Order: sequence, then structure tokens, then C-alpha cells
Amino acid sequence: MADTHKPVSPPTPEAPNPDTDAYAHEAELEAHLQTKRMYVNMGPSHPATHGTVRLKVELEGENIAEIDCEIGFLHRGFQKSCENVTWTQCLPYTDRLNYVSAMMNNFGFLNAVEKLIGLEIPERAQYIRVIGSELHRIHDHLTCVGATGMELGGFAPFLFAVEARELIMDRVAELTGARLTTNFGRIGGMNRDLPEGWSEKVIKTLDKVMEHVNEIDGLLSRNRIFVDRTKDTGIITAADAIDYGWTGPCLRACGVDYDVRKVKPYWVYDRMEFDVPVGEKGDNYDRYLMRIEEMKQSDRIIRQALQQIPAGPIILDDWRIALPPKPEVYGTIEGVISHFKLVMEGVQVPAGEVYDCTEAANGELGWYMVSDGSGRPYKVHVRAPGYPILSAVPHIIKGKLLADLIPTFDTINMIGGEVEQ
Amino acid sequence: MSTFALDRVTAQFPEAVAERYLDRTGGAWAVIHAEHLPKVAAFLKNELDFKLFTSIDAVDRLHLAENDPRFEVVYFIYSLSRHEHVRFKVRVSEARPEIPSITPVFRGADWWERFVWDFYGIRFSGHPDLRRVLLYEEFQGHPLRKDYALRDRQPLIPERPIKDIFRGPGTSGVS
Amino acid sequence: MSDNDTKKPTGDAQPPPKGAPTDTPAAKIGSQPSNPPAGAKLDTPPAAHSAPTAPPPPPAAKPAGPPPPKNPGFVTCTIDGKEVVVKPGTNMIEAARMVGSDIPYFCYHPRLSIAANCRMCMVEASNAPKLVPGCQTPLVEGQVIKTTTPKVKEQQRAVMEFLLLNHPVDCSICDQAGECKLQDYYMRYDYRPSRLEGGKVMKNKRKVLGPRVVLDQERCIICSRCVRFMNEIPKEPQLGIFGRGSHEVIDTFPGSELNSNYSLNTVDICPVGALLSRDFRFRARSWFLSAAPSVCTGCSRGCNIYADFMAQDTYRYRPRENEAVNKSWMCDHGRATYKGLNTGRVLSAVVGRQQGTGTARPEVARKEAIQAAAKALSGVKGQVAVLASPVASNEDLLATLTFAKATLGAKEIYVGGRPQGEADHYLLTADRNPNRKGLELIAQGLGLALKPFEDLVKALDGGKVKALYAVGTEVPGNVETFAQAAAKLDVFVAQATNESPLTAQATVLLPASAHVEFDGSFVQVDGLIQRFRKAYPSKGDAVGHWALAAELSREMGGTAAWTSSREVFRELGKQVAAFAGFDWDKSAPPDREKPGINPLPTAADGRPPGYREFGAPRVRGI
Repeated sequence: MADTHKPVSPPTPEAPNPDTDAYAHEAELEAHLQTKRMYVNMGPSHPATHGTVRLKVELEGENIAEIDCEIGFLHRGFQKSCENVTWTQCLPYTDRLNYVSAMMNNFGFLNAVEKLIGLEIPERAQYIRVIGSELHRIHDHLTCVGATGMELGGFAPFLFAVEARELIMDRVAELTGARLTTNFGRIGGMNRDLPEGWSEKVIKTLDKVMEHVNEIDGLLSRNRIFVDRTKDTGIITAADAIDYGWTGPCLRACGVDYDVRKVKPYWVYDRMEFDVPVGEKGDNYDRYLMRIEEMKQSDRIIRQALQQIPAGPIILDDWRIALPPKPEVYGTIEGVISHFKLVMEGVQVPAGEVYDCTEAANGELGWYMVSDGSGRPYKVHVRAPGYPILSAVPHIIKGKLLADLIPTFDTINMIGGEVEQ
Repeated sequence: MSTFALDRVTAQFPEAVAERYLDRTGGAWAVIHAEHLPKVAAFLKNELDFKLFTSIDAVDRLHLAENDPRFEVVYFIYSLSRHEHVRFKVRVSEARPEIPSITPVFRGADWWERFVWDFYGIRFSGHPDLRRVLLYEEFQGHPLRKDYALRDRQPLIPERPIKDIFRGPGTSGVS
Repeated sequence: MSDNDTKKPTGDAQPPPKGAPTDTPAAKIGSQPSNPPAGAKLDTPPAAHSAPTAPPPPPAAKPAGPPPPKNPGFVTCTIDGKEVVVKPGTNMIEAARMVGSDIPYFCYHPRLSIAANCRMCMVEASNAPKLVPGCQTPLVEGQVIKTTTPKVKEQQRAVMEFLLLNHPVDCSICDQAGECKLQDYYMRYDYRPSRLEGGKVMKNKRKVLGPRVVLDQERCIICSRCVRFMNEIPKEPQLGIFGRGSHEVIDTFPGSELNSNYSLNTVDICPVGALLSRDFRFRARSWFLSAAPSVCTGCSRGCNIYADFMAQDTYRYRPRENEAVNKSWMCDHGRATYKGLNTGRVLSAVVGRQQGTGTARPEVARKEAIQAAAKALSGVKGQVAVLASPVASNEDLLATLTFAKATLGAKEIYVGGRPQGEADHYLLTADRNPNRKGLELIAQGLGLALKPFEDLVKALDGGKVKALYAVGTEVPGNVETFAQAAAKLDVFVAQATNESPLTAQATVLLPASAHVEFDGSFVQVDGLIQRFRKAYPSKGDAVGHWALAAELSREMGGTAAWTSSREVFRELGKQVAAFAGFDWDKSAPPDREKPGINPLPTAADGRPPGYREFGAPRVRGI
């Protein structure tokens, strides 16, 4: 490791090393209590953390003296890949950013592209996007909460979370055809409509999921061990969190009321009635509570959206943007031209630049895009919410106990796919 | 979209702003001269309450019609009181890809500046710890530059030596 | 009815009977003014046009008499709100292009006469009550042109719908897909579903027009570009329009065929997929091809081309515009020469002669062969005859001849190269070698004497030459006979791109790159130095002639430190006076057709043209 980072106190060559120097054995007999810093590698593959990240921790007893996050194990060249495929072909890459809530990445990306083109998508598509996003928000939070519980020693909450996740995944699979990498939505709307009878199934699923969420809530929220491990650990002040660029539930846990859905309502969020939970202390327990509460709010949103969703088209009827219906492609020259041009050269996005953001499960998912007027993006910058959050971990944890690192790392919900692009 | 912040910046530091424009979607932009960047960032943070650091990235304009200077570093900062983003950019030449760091002003800029250094090779003078962030130190080149070939390959690097990890400080761990 | 070929104006203006003026090519170039009628002819007819169209402005609430021109000697008018100053006689399409407005067109071609039959370029002009065709209408002082009004857009939509009405649903099997104007304009100006009820008109889908061109009459939109091209550019009127209404078709005259040496240009200028190259047909989708700007090596004219390639194969040459050399055209002979880049290549080094036909020759690593060649050549220093081919580039010749002079001690160079052919009346020259001028200049610069190939044959027959170093194995005479003579050589080191009976006789055969595989330059017949760009890495084990010379030179104790053709030119080109004013870097054609948006086809998976896929070779160990 060619780090420029120097150890805090490099052992001087003159000082006797009790472990290696022969004359030190004498001293050893006297049970020397020479303090010595210990270096621990947490990760890239560690049973008590999720996400492939290497935390190089320097311990003084149980306290963390220095910590350095080494990330990039999941780097896949997201931006470079996007620059070399058509706008539509970027969509599967966005699945793999936050792979626990793929749809939110899909829709966030599409929203930015649509803003760049200047499109207003059909109302029904907006509702489907809200429903999909909120389903995946529950999915994401369940993963986070379940994993937190498990890594702090409670296996039952994890099983409840996984079962609830499984139910959501089944609904997602019915909707998109895939459990995890949804690749759902297209520029200008959606690629498929809600399946028949899906809405009723979702309501039933939500009943069940919320049962599990309450179960988890009951198991953890007043659990002595859990509370002891999470309360007053991993504290970050609101000012620090803002300075580091935190967003989403982690920022709200510090008492800052910032939710893109409320501040700058996109799609049909302004028609939904929901509350944004805000914490007080910015510790691990608050971050956990934010997620539990947000799941309940998401449940409210989905139920409202399923009730309000109007009938109508799901994608724009413009053959420069959306693929023509298949009979037109096979039977008319107009359809086949449009199909070929859209597939081979991509949607022609007018030259320009845009910054757009949506509220993803972990915070503000921002996109800065530059188009040179061709069918391929010139630049796709993704502001993954987890990236600034992870960058603050050394600040939070320095001087604290090693044991605090586990819940902290859990509740910030670092997702390798989005942080490491 | 509001141009409040940029108006104030222009009024305060007329010499810092090279250009103002609106992008096609109505976003207000300013091009800031690199040497005035820390001043502008501090003004935005302390006076105008643009505190929530959103992100930094760069654009390699090599294949765009207008490509001199070659790089653009873009900044996005959010104001929680005004509920709007301020967006501005700094242009950097290929010959001397170095601009002042704003990490002393915004701690959140730390990793983003490392990211830009990693992928575009733009240095941030005054950054406390400018290392690669996602790639490894031995990586050759900066892959998001447009002249980095899509299928370029990297040389194999020798395995790093691991000293006795159990017995005491070596080059493993924080080294 | 089918004889009704003169209903088009182009049919009337019959140029002299085909093949009548067999001028020398140089004279032909000189007589070009008659060829680009777009510029020259426009000066007169527009004047006739502007007379009737000019009066309308005065009634438009203007003081009596035409206003004095804003810029004397030029016409000043407004297109889409932008003022544009042009020479009198410039048409609207060209003027609009100057201010960044695109007027779509099918039948218009800047180098052909105006037909104005596609009606796609109709725009709104302030002095006309109806839309006017932009290709045919010269600009008038003070005119206001609008190209994006609803009226114009509706016209464009209507034309597109009309053209697509009988167009077959062929994109999936059409070679033009990806570079088709119908596709481009449909997406830009129409983008509506079909309203056709009922069937389409059926015509002949594979009408073979000649040895190289086939016509799909269903796809044709009767823009008459091909007819006008054949009449006006090569002046070989071999195509005509027959029938009328829905039965109107392009065809050859009865009993004749489209066999001009310029017939494939009609395929290029065909805006749709009607005229197709029989050679290229069904071989590659244009979307998957990438293009590298290059120079044709078929003759000494040096037509500028794009070499369209995929992976490491070239699929076709397309003419690249160059006013000084080939305008927008090239000949069929030159187009066919791409085949030598793909097949019959020498791909690996060989040591030892071939024993009879069909026997395998020992292929060795290039390094080994270089060592063998160096050893053999070291023994005969000073007695080596050098054969240089004018097919090789300047960089190749600079490096190899420097090596021959400095290391081998050669004082004279025998000139090889392809045999002379027959010149035609337009672009093709008799000299089928792209770089004879370059070879002459370089030999002169290096102080080497050039001797004709016959002298080498005589010397070989007389047994005076026992060792030969050949840069390129193309020979002007009979290859078989010369190969038999070469079989008697003690040492025959040959650097070759393509296999021939002669390469079989080489004691050491070294694989050399073809011109699309590296950056370099040629000097064409008129003395113009033209740069070409690398399309893809060399096939097999080949490297450029210059690199082989550098390797040989180092192996024999020389100090050739060139690592790229660019360095060769910069280092050795100084000795050639004619190269002094040539900036190797700046003269390179841009590697994309335009900055910014690259209109070239993308690769199969949506990736950009292939040149970006091959970075600097930095692979070590993987």
C-alpha cells in the first residue's frame, strides 16, 4: 500500500521491540504493560460489516485512534461505461448503483434525462414511479434495519426483515420481471404497466410487511442490548453532517428537516400525504428510528398512490423518444425506422447540461449530466448519497470504541455499489 | 430557478466571476476563476447559508465543440434555508491541471476532490490528503479523461509485501 | 413509354458521347471548372431567377426601386433571424448551413446540377407567397428566410410521409440503414405513424445494373442524383429514368449496363438504400463500422478516403472530400484495392525459401527472423541491391532507405512497385503506385540514385546481384519470372505486406503493415503530401516497414531509435527539402468527421468508433 498516510507513532529503530529483540525477554518476565497500538483490518470481507469496504483501524486498547476507509472494491467504471452506451443502455448500469433499491436509481436517472430533454411524462407513469420508489424504499430500509439487528446480535429481526423483503421482491418481480436489477422505466415513461390484480396484491403484501416491520420495531426499539449499543453512539452533530454533505434519513436523524420529496416535489409526491420523521441526536438509534418510521410513511404513500392512480398511457407517444408498438415496427417503415434509430443510436438528447436530484433511500441522489446532442451521454455524474456519508465515518468514530463502529457502519447503510460506482 | 446566490457572489466578488449563464433547463451557472474559488466558497457558506455540500465532479470537454480550457470542475452546494442549489464551475487547463481545494471550507469536499483527482488527474492544492479514492495507487492514468481508451489495460502490479500482521506494526494496516 | 428518358432536364443536357474526350488526367483536373456546376453555373441562372423574384420586395411596403445592397458585391439576407452575407448566386441551403440552420434535402448535391424534385428543402421566403425550394433559389438582397416555421415543418412532414408511403419495410435487411437520409430525416422531421391503408407498390428488388452496382427499385425515391452524376461528373450517361408515376424507375438504357469506372459513386450519393455496391452488400451494418480518414493507394492520384473498418478488417473505402484532389469522388478501381488489406497478407515472419507449392514454411517469431536477416545481411554489406516499392509510405521509405544507405551501404535503389495500368479520363492515373513522387523526393534527399527495375532484372540474370533487400514486394514486371530469378539469390530479405510468388522466394520474409495500420503520408502525383491515419493495429505479427528497418538496424549495430512513424518523419524528413514545409501533425485529417457530435456509426454495442478501443499498448503481463 503506497499510502502517503503515515502511522501516528512509527516505532523508532533504537527503541527495544519486546517481540523481536532478544534482550527484551527479561523485561517480558516482568509482564510489561507497554501500550502498543494495534492495527486491525476490518474488511474488505468482514462478518460484522456489510458492504465490501476495508476499514484500516488503529486501536489503542478498545478505542479507535485512527481510521481510514479504503473503498473502491466494487468500482465498475459506472461513468465511463455510461459515456460509451446510449442513454437507454445506461439504465441497467444504474440498477447496480444501489442494488437494494434499484428502481429508485432507475427513476432518478430517467427523471434527470427527462429534465434534460424537457419532457413531462404521463400521469400514470408518475404514479407508477412513486409506487415503485416507495416499495424499494421499504425494501432498502428493511435491509438496513435487519442487518443492523443481526450484526448487533439479534438474528430474529433479520429473518423478519428478509421475509418482508422477499414479499416485496415478489411484487417487484411481478412488476418489472426481475427481483433485484429491475431495469424498469424508460425515457418518457414506463416500459410496462402494472400487472392485472397487482394493486390488490400489493395492499395485502403491505399489510404483511408492516406486520413484520412492527415485529422488528417491537423486538429492537426497546431491546436493552440494542438500545445500549446504538443510543449515544456514532453521534454526529447537525452542523457536521451538513458540512460533510449528509442527506436522507441520516441527516434527518440529526434534526435537520430536509427531504427532496417535500422540498421540491417531483412526480406526484405533492399529492401524497406523508410525514417526514426528524430525529434529535444524530446517533445510531435515531438513524434506526428514522428508517422504521420512514417505512411506515412509505406504506402510507403507496396505499394513497394505488388509490389515486389514474388510467391512461404509461409512456409518451413520441417516436423520437419511445419505441413504437411492435405491430408498427414489424409492419410499417415508419415504425421500423424509429425502432432502429432508437435502438442503434439512442434517444437524441439535445445538447446541454442538467443537475437533478431525487430522494433515494439513503438521501439525495443527484445526477449531473452533459449531453453533446448525440444518442450517448457525454458525462453522467452520480452523486450517490452514501458517498459523503461514508466519508464522515472517520470523523464520527475517531476516539470511540471499536464496538461502536459496527452499529455506526450499519446505520449509515453504506452500499458499495453506489459509493464505489 | 433562483439566481440569488450567484447574484450576490457577482456583487461581492465581481472579479471572481468569469461568466454567468442559464442552462437549457433553467439552472443558473457561474464560471468562477480558480484563484478566487476558496473565497467564493467561504462566502457562500458563511454569508449566504449554502452549507450542505452536495458534490463536485469534472467534465473533460475534449470532444465538445468548445474545449479550451479542457477541464471543467463543477460544484453543487445546497442551502437548507433557501432550499436551492447553487451551481458553479471552474475551468482548468490541461497543461496545469491544478485548482485550490475547498476542503478547508467544506469537509464534504474532501472525498469528492479525491475522486476528481483519481479520475481526471486534476490536483487540488491545499487538500490535506490527496490520494486516489476508488482506484489503487499504482493505477496508470486517469480513466474518465476522454482520451483514456475504453478498453485500455493496466499493468499487473506486484503483490504488496505483508509483514507479520499478528506480531506488531508492519506495513500492513494503516501504513 | 420506357423511352421517355428525356423528360428530366438532366437527360437533355447530353454531354459528349461517352469516352470521347480521353484527356490526360492532369488536363482533366485542369478542365474541372466545367465539372462543378454547382458553383460556377449558379452565377448565371440565379441572375435569371432573381429577376422575377426580386420585384416582390418593392410591393412589400418598400420605397420604389431595389434597395442598395448592404454589402456591395455580396448578398445580405436573414436566415432564421441571423444575418448572412454570401456571394451572389449562393443558394439557400448553402447559406443556411453557414449560419447553422440545416435545411434538409435529398436530391440536392453541391457538385451536381439542381433538380429540385424532392421538395424536401422548401422554406419560407419573405418575397414569395408560397414555399420555395432552398436548393434552387438563390438568395436576394434583404430577403428573410425562415426554415422552422409550422408551414415549413408541415411541408417536411408531408414530403417524408409521401416518400415513405411506398417505401418497403426494409431497414432490417438494408445496407444503407444507419447512413440513410430517410431514417435521419424521419426521426428529425416526421416521427409520425404510418397512415397507409392497403398495399405498397411493388417493383424490381434486385435489378443488376452493372458489374458493381445493383438497384432496389422499391427503395428508390427518384431523386435523380445518380442520373445527374453519371451525366455530369464522369460524363458517361449510362443511367436514365423510365416510366412515369408509380412506375417510374431508374434503369440503364436497353442493351447497356452501368460499367463506368465511377459507377460506385452513385451508391455513395444515393440518399437511400436503392443503389447498392455488390461488393459491400450484406457484408456489414454501417452502424458497426468505424471510419478512419485515409488515402487510397490504387493509383498515384491519392484520392482522400474513409476506410470503414470493424475490428481488424477493412470493409470498404468511401471518398472523403478534398477540393484539390478528388472533390467528392473516387474510382471503382481504387475502391476495390481495400481487399488487399484483408486477404493474402503476410502475417508472420518466415525464414527459409518455400520448397515447391503447398509446403508449409517455417514461421518464426519476428525477432528471430530479424536476427536471421541481420546475420545474412551483415555478410554481404556493400553488395546488397535494394528494391524499394513506391507503394510504401514516406515514413517507410525514409526509414528503410536510411537503413539501406547507412547500414547496408547502398548507393542506388531499384524502383519496384505495381505495373503501370491505363489511365482513364477522370481520376485514375496510369501509375498504380501511391507514392512514386515520395520515393523520388526521398531518394533525392538522401542522395541515393534511383534505377529502373529492368536494371535489376538484368543484374540478376547476369549474376551480378547475389543479395537483395526488398521494401515491398510489388514488381512492375512479371512476378513469376522475377521470382524465378530471385530464387537464385543467396540472400533475399523481403519486407512484404501481401503474399506473392516473390515472397515465397525470400530467404527471410518480414511481415509489414498496410497503410491503414499506422499513421503516415504519401506524395500524390501532383506533389501534394497527404497524411493518413491509423485505423486499427496491424494484423498478425506485422509492423510498419519503418519499424522493421529500425529493428534490423539495431540488430546490425545501428542506432535507429524511432518508435513511431511520427518520429521517423520528424527525424529523417529534414533531409528532404520538399518535406520542409509539411507539418506532419497539423496536416493529419481530423480523426472524427466533426468536432463534438460524431455522426459516424457506432460499434455493435453502442460504443463509439473503434479507434478509441485501442489505447496505447500498455499491456504488460496480462
